[in-house]
Amino acid sequence: MGKNISAVMAHVAVILAVLLVIGILGSIASAQAGGGSEKFTGEIERGATIRVLENDTAIKQGYLSELITAFNKKYEEYGVKAIDANMDQYTDLENDGPYGYGPDVLYQANDRIMRYPEHKHILPLPAEEFDCYDKVSEKGWQAYTQKVGGDEYIFGVPVNVQGPLLYYRKDLLPENWQTEWDDDKNGIPDIVEYWTDMYRYSKQVKLSGNGKKFGYMRSFLEPYFSVGYLYSYGGYSFGDGNTNPADIGHSAGNAEYGGRVIRQLASVMDERCIDDSVTTGAYSALASGEFFATITTPDVYTMFVDEMKAKGYSDEFIAENLVTTYIPKLPVSGDLEDESQGFIECNMMGGVQGYAISSYTTCPNASLAFVKFATSYDMIKRRNELLGIVPARSDVADNLGGLSEIINNNLERGNITVMPSIKESAQLWTPLQTLFQDLAKDAFRKSAEVKYETLESIKEALKKVDKQIYDGIFTLQ
Amino acid sequence: MEKEKNKRSFFTSVKEKTVLFFKDKKKKIVNFFKTLPARTKAKFAGAKEILTQGNGKVCASMCVMGLGQLMYKQWAKGILYLLVQAAFLAYFVLKGAGDFIGFFTLGVKEGNAWYGEQGDNSVIMLLMGILSVIAIIFYAVIYIANVKDAYRIQCAADTLKPTPSFKKELTSLLNKNFHKTALALPIVGVCVFSILPIIFMIAIAFTNYGGEVVPPALIDWVGFENFGKILTLGQFAPTFFKIFGWNILWAVLSTFINYFAGLGLALLLSKKCVKGKTFWRLFPILAYAVPGFITLIAFKFMFSYGGPINQIITGAGGTAVGFLDIDAKWTARLIGLSVNAWLNIPSGMLLATGILSNVNSDLYEAARVDGASSWKQFVRITLPYVLFATMPVLISQFIANFNNFGIFYFLRGGLYMDGYFLASDTDLLINWLYNMSIDNNYYSIGAAISIIIFIVTSIISLAVYVMSPSYKQEETYQ
Repeated sequence: MGKNISAVMAHVAVILAVLLVIGILGSIASAQAGGGSEKFTGEIERGATIRVLENDTAIKQGYLSELITAFNKKYEEYGVKAIDANMDQYTDLENDGPYGYGPDVLYQANDRIMRYPEHKHILPLPAEEFDCYDKVSEKGWQAYTQKVGGDEYIFGVPVNVQGPLLYYRKDLLPENWQTEWDDDKNGIPDIVEYWTDMYRYSKQVKLSGNGKKFGYMRSFLEPYFSVGYLYSYGGYSFGDGNTNPADIGHSAGNAEYGGRVIRQLASVMDERCIDDSVTTGAYSALASGEFFATITTPDVYTMFVDEMKAKGYSDEFIAENLVTTYIPKLPVSGDLEDESQGFIECNMMGGVQGYAISSYTTCPNASLAFVKFATSYDMIKRRNELLGIVPARSDVADNLGGLSEIINNNLERGNITVMPSIKESAQLWTPLQTLFQDLAKDAFRKSAEVKYETLESIKEALKKVDKQIYDGIFTLQ
Repeated sequence: MEKEKNKRSFFTSVKEKTVLFFKDKKKKIVNFFKTLPARTKAKFAGAKEILTQGNGKVCASMCVMGLGQLMYKQWAKGILYLLVQAAFLAYFVLKGAGDFIGFFTLGVKEGNAWYGEQGDNSVIMLLMGILSVIAIIFYAVIYIANVKDAYRIQCAADTLKPTPSFKKELTSLLNKNFHKTALALPIVGVCVFSILPIIFMIAIAFTNYGGEVVPPALIDWVGFENFGKILTLGQFAPTFFKIFGWNILWAVLSTFINYFAGLGLALLLSKKCVKGKTFWRLFPILAYAVPGFITLIAFKFMFSYGGPINQIITGAGGTAVGFLDIDAKWTARLIGLSVNAWLNIPSGMLLATGILSNVNSDLYEAARVDGASSWKQFVRITLPYVLFATMPVLISQFIANFNNFGIFYFLRGGLYMDGYFLASDTDLLINWLYNMSIDNNYYSIGAAISIIIFIVTSIISLAVYVMSPSYKQEETYQ
């Protein structure tokens, strides 16, 4: 028996010995691996294929096809070819990149792109080499700047600035607006200049329209469009310029005033402002005159135009009466029924979309050349023509004027707070969405059920949301 | 009085049955442990025999697979075993050993994509490590078969019996041992596509994977820490128990409603007095045929503030109702139950229709002659028969309802309520799991919750099944 047991043991010993030797060798080998080199050498990889991830609109409208055709022609001599990565526009580089499935170049919003630097999924870019370097505002670059390992790098090239605008129907202004609704006599209706007047006018419209017509209408569900009311009165998402996740400040300063403004605005709308059922219908409602004004991003301007055309309005009528402008100013008092203390600018959330290069690309230099080409003056101008984006390049924006100028001015003036570029920002949306829904709902609760009648109660709710976000970020880390 | 008496006898019978069930189980469990040593001894008796009685050739097979067979001139089999050992050693040298060690270390070197430094990917290492363990188990099984085979040949040689030729043994795989041939491929498939992912998920629950720790960062083993967090963390434990309680209530209610409403509909449509049965059956089938998430989105719109229901209410001069909004805890739960019923009653109806068509009509005839009322006939004939036939389906429906992700994700997603951690008051455990593992990247906590869900659903399902007539009276309706 002993002999046989020894035989089995010998067999197992051989296997274990192999295991041990391989383990030791493996660890030595892995310890010896390493080193590295700068990826941007300036030498374009000949014959490289660059997989470009663009947003769906750019693909649908044919912009990407134009872009890659022009790039491929320019770099024909290198045999470099850019192609559509043919992936979902929200492709997660973190999961796909390391296995070779991600794109080489990606175009996404700053909050998405800036989740990647921490684990080095995207490459730091030599921003000074870009011809748009001094044409893009500092705030634009800031959205793509992050510290990694103690050093600060730029990880993306801003292309498009996103920020909300007020859309309204000029023909629906009260006939006497020049005498009754333009106190400062600057030729601009106070209704679209100040939230207090918009509130007063919306109240009138709702009353006279028996709840079938509204002045201002917008769902509060989307934090992107609602958190600005908190920002305007001193609230912020993350401290240190939206970079410190440990400091959450939606309740900071007089942010509760912003909460009250939401509650007051909700009262001049109807319950549709609580959920998102009004969002998709907003184009048609503005076109039909059910709403006088709403807030949304510039890229949907054509949707309003199409709806108005469908309702029989002429191009001239639309050009004259569908107006986009700055977001109205808020009262210092934080009460839409009290304008005695003057006004402050309304600070809204915005975003910057841009290009980044994957760390897993096999052709970093060709990818860099592509990003340089795609952010050149001509291509950004073409992008604006085809997609109606607001260029981050000031030279293109200045030439275009209109919406581009307004949004860029808003960014410059600090009236747009760029979405936080840290990955913890993913924890913001649901708690904020819940709070805004609750505040809007409060305007329609029976008096016995009202939750936010006082500023203190709103402050308390904001503090709870801050704690919820903090817990979401730190509880399980 | 009669009713009260019936009720009391029903409860007494349930109590007695439950006591009997647990007595029976207790007896079985005690017996299991009592006989365990004897059964283990019997199991290893064969191994002991080989170790004590095996000759030098068997010993050779123990050292090197197939060597004993070769010494007995069983060339083909010996070479095959030898090849298996060579293949395993090659796999082990080239990959398996590294994978096996990686399973324990989960990586030692973090990658740096900026410099093209390939680091260890803990997730892949965990997966490959599990695969290497499966490979080792396979190898061990073949090794034991090899030793047993060598001993079998020895026994045959010692008793001067002819040893079956390789060709004969191969042929037996198509006749006597066909089950082995037929099951070999499925077993490999089950190991790779079922067991591997399950073990992987279970293993994840014992790591710190998620949050900040995602590749290229290295993952570590943390033991039962994640389970501890679920049960003890200030924000976590209350949410878990609140959601768990609602989840149980939801699963029981929705299964009950769907099952009995489906059965009721089937009974109604099987009545002779109903005209145009095919036509009426078409409507539920249409509801069943529409993809579930489309139906859910449609219902969400219908119950929204801008939806048709509120338009009718406001049009009639009423105030819009927040059916699914932030204050609508129980209204939303009831709507969830109703929508779930809308989606699932048709399948229950179809199932019951099929089963009812097989009930022996003589039973009803006899019951009618004995003066049994329709209700009595339903309780004594229809229900036991349908329950017997559909208990496994009922259990699977319970599990499906317990893990019903779509209903509240589509109807009322995007809310985190006060007093809940990353969840709302209508979320089920599966929704909470999604919020944490997909929305918030807490994969390891998500895996730990999955294990808890698995344990709960398994216990309930097993208990219900073992107590059901489908298990206890398997022969009754056959």
